Amino acid sequence: MKIVGVAACTVGIAHTYIAQEKLENAGKKAGHEIHIETQGTIGTENELTQQQIAEADIVILATDVKIAGRERFDGKRIIQVTTEIAVKSPNKLIEKAAEVVSQKN
Amino acid sequence: MDTNSIYQVYFNCKWKIKEEVYSFISKIVSQDSPIAKEEVIHQLNERDKIGSTLIAEHVVLPHIESDQLKKSQILFIRLANPIVSWDSQSKNICLVIVILLKKNESVNIKKRISLYIRSLADEEYLNRLLESHEEEDFMEKIIEF
Repeated sequence: MKIVGVAACTVGIAHTYIAQEKLENAGKKAGHEIHIETQGTIGTENELTQQQIAEADIVILATDVKIAGRERFDGKRIIQVTTEIAVKSPNKLIEKAAEVVSQKN
Repeated sequence: MDTNSIYQVYFNCKWKIKEEVYSFISKIVSQDSPIAKEEVIHQLNERDKIGSTLIAEHVVLPHIESDQLKKSQILFIRLANPIVSWDSQSKNICLVIVILLKKNESVNIKKRISLYIRSLADEEYLNRLLESHEEEDFMEKIIEF
């Protein structure tokens, strides 16, 4: 499964980066290809390419604030959660994403 | 530890409630300005209202960005005894890692902080910090990330 996503929290220095790390680690551990963009105090890092988005089976938005470029995901299957969920339960979130994708197919 | 370091460690702290920890944080960062002290506490509490800062069992990560701060820092507050009830969701807190980001901080410092923050996603690293009961050992664990 291919996953893309965005992590963005209110201050943009803490949960944004932990959420990214935890989601990418959980996704890779489960055998998925995963890319998480961060929109934090530094700006946008690990910016998703159009190809990554086009090929993604699902999008995970772990965000507490309005993100830039949300329209890039129009028409995609999206799971929207807070960064807190991504930090506390990354493995469950990846499992949920896999479940949603399998239901879709 | 170098007092100019971005990392500052406070070991064996004997506070029993979150408010005592926040009061201490405000005192050490606000350089005797009563307005700054109140503002730092206010901002920490406002961040708490948005959601839990618990990042792992026994570890919370309060964080603010403020124009009241003279410099950006990461404070490690190792409690002598766990704070039984930090908030409604966070119990038995042993380690408080505080991110203090100065308003309009340089990208270079922000990148250093974000790089360290990413290491906190590693539960084994956090466990090593939690298991360090000597200050020197604790500092070595911080540096090793």
